[in-house]
Amino acid sequence: MKTVIVYKWARNAEDAVVRNDGTVDWRNAKMTAGEDDFAALEAAKAIAEGDELIGLTIGDGDASWALARGVLQTISVTDASNLTDNASTAAIIVAAMRQIGGVDAVVIGDSEEYAGVPVALAGQLGWPAIAHVSSASAVDGRVQVVRKQGSSEQTISIAAPAVIAVSAASPEKKTPGMKEQLAARKRPVTKLTLAAIGAASDDKVSSKGTRLPETAAARIFDGDPAAAAEQLVAALRGEGVL
Amino acid sequence: MSDAWIIVTEEKQVAALVAAAKGLGGKITAIAVGPRALADAAAIAGPDEVKWVDAKGIPVEAYAGSVARLVAAALPKVVVASGTVEGRVLAGATAARLGAAVIPGGLKLSALGDRTVVERADLDGRVVETIEAAGPVVTFYAGDDVASEGFAAVPVEPVGTDAAADILVEKTEPAAGAGAGINQAAVVVSVGRGLKKKDDLAIVHDLANALGAEIGCSMPVADDLGWVEKERYVGRSGQHIAPQLYIAIGIRGAPQHLEGIRDAKVVVGINNDPDAPIFKFADYGIVGDLYDVIPALQAALGK
Repeated sequence: MKTVIVYKWARNAEDAVVRNDGTVDWRNAKMTAGEDDFAALEAAKAIAEGDELIGLTIGDGDASWALARGVLQTISVTDASNLTDNASTAAIIVAAMRQIGGVDAVVIGDSEEYAGVPVALAGQLGWPAIAHVSSASAVDGRVQVVRKQGSSEQTISIAAPAVIAVSAASPEKKTPGMKEQLAARKRPVTKLTLAAIGAASDDKVSSKGTRLPETAAARIFDGDPAAAAEQLVAALRGEGVL
Repeated sequence: MSDAWIIVTEEKQVAALVAAAKGLGGKITAIAVGPRALADAAAIAGPDEVKWVDAKGIPVEAYAGSVARLVAAALPKVVVASGTVEGRVLAGATAARLGAAVIPGGLKLSALGDRTVVERADLDGRVVETIEAAGPVVTFYAGDDVASEGFAAVPVEPVGTDAAADILVEKTEPAAGAGAGINQAAVVVSVGRGLKKKDDLAIVHDLANALGAEIGCSMPVADDLGWVEKERYVGRSGQHIAPQLYIAIGIRGAPQHLEGIRDAKVVVGINNDPDAPIFKFADYGIVGDLYDVIPALQAALGK
């Protein structure tokens, strides 16, 4: 199946520093591979099953990430920025996909932080979607996915074209070595701009600022371990959980 | 004042979705997609009306197009869905049909003139961001559950749908580890990378035995290190558990781990780093070396 793997499409929340006043400093963080991107790529390879697999990245991240992991060609929308509105981010991806055409499956990491992007992407394409997928494959011209729902595991078959949002069960085990990195540099990256694909990098919403959450901090016992442990046990007995 | 729709795919958070939408001050319409019992649960959660799509046992996502059409026809300013796997897919399709912005992590909603104000959890819950939108907004609710206040039931109106998308469940099996005691345990003692070597698991087992607890762990302990069986890994893609007491030992508290214990009643963090995120999530904490704290806890439990 002709498959698109969308990767490095957002900044990583962990790259943001939250100051004591609740404001956020991104320290020039770039778009990066999310924790689900590698699992998504594995699923995309399985769905493509030897057919065309095309990378798609947006923003200022290094487009060679997928090329060093076996993808032979990629598209990079270089001037897309990190947006608050997940639908606007999805619109950029959709516009870039129009440059590809004839796609059977789009695979994307099911990011917690940007949980609206995969589903808004499906909505804008008018394609069905399955989220929180752990693995996928192509079976008889359809996409078959496995996902965990509560204490059960479902095997679901979905007709193409479809959007598959993948959640990682474990991080990437082995990052590409120098040989793969060098090979990646020889593979083609088609660089596009928002203007060229007819997309805008405008948020439909405006941020009025950030603040620290009002969550009650944990009751901390510190100092002498024996005393702290006794205080904790007393507190837990008081809660009725011991 | 803005009218809102809520998309209901499971009973658990329905009262919270309605409560969040009430912040807008307008009419609230719930669309329940699933069995009749789900619609009946929505009907007593406080909305003004309930529409019901009978999912007929097909995956809820197959009705995304129909739900989008039904909701968008009413041109609501705000749509609130739970952040569940199915709820998100329905909401994404609805947003596309409405031309709405999509904001995950919604905590609180209000209307400011003709604008919508969404307070949302951002950066793994480290900050609350205030967002204003002039146009329609779809948000996934990420706040706390609230108890239903015993509202009188409003009528449930079954609604017809277009043909469902071609999505089939081929089989459903118990997930790996679903039979492990960790899912039913009242107390779970979980261990993370703070543990220095595999042999040291013995002291964690001793504590678990003293508490009558099951053992759990963070992802690296099961995945990278292989010290604990994979079915005991607690987190987003591992076990989602709801014990009365969860004790996280040497676990920093990565967001994906915390997702697995969102329904735990009381959470205790034990970590030598006072800035570990677990202390922002836990109810109680001990800042200290786990090798000192675990024996001290066992001694305290014996008193």
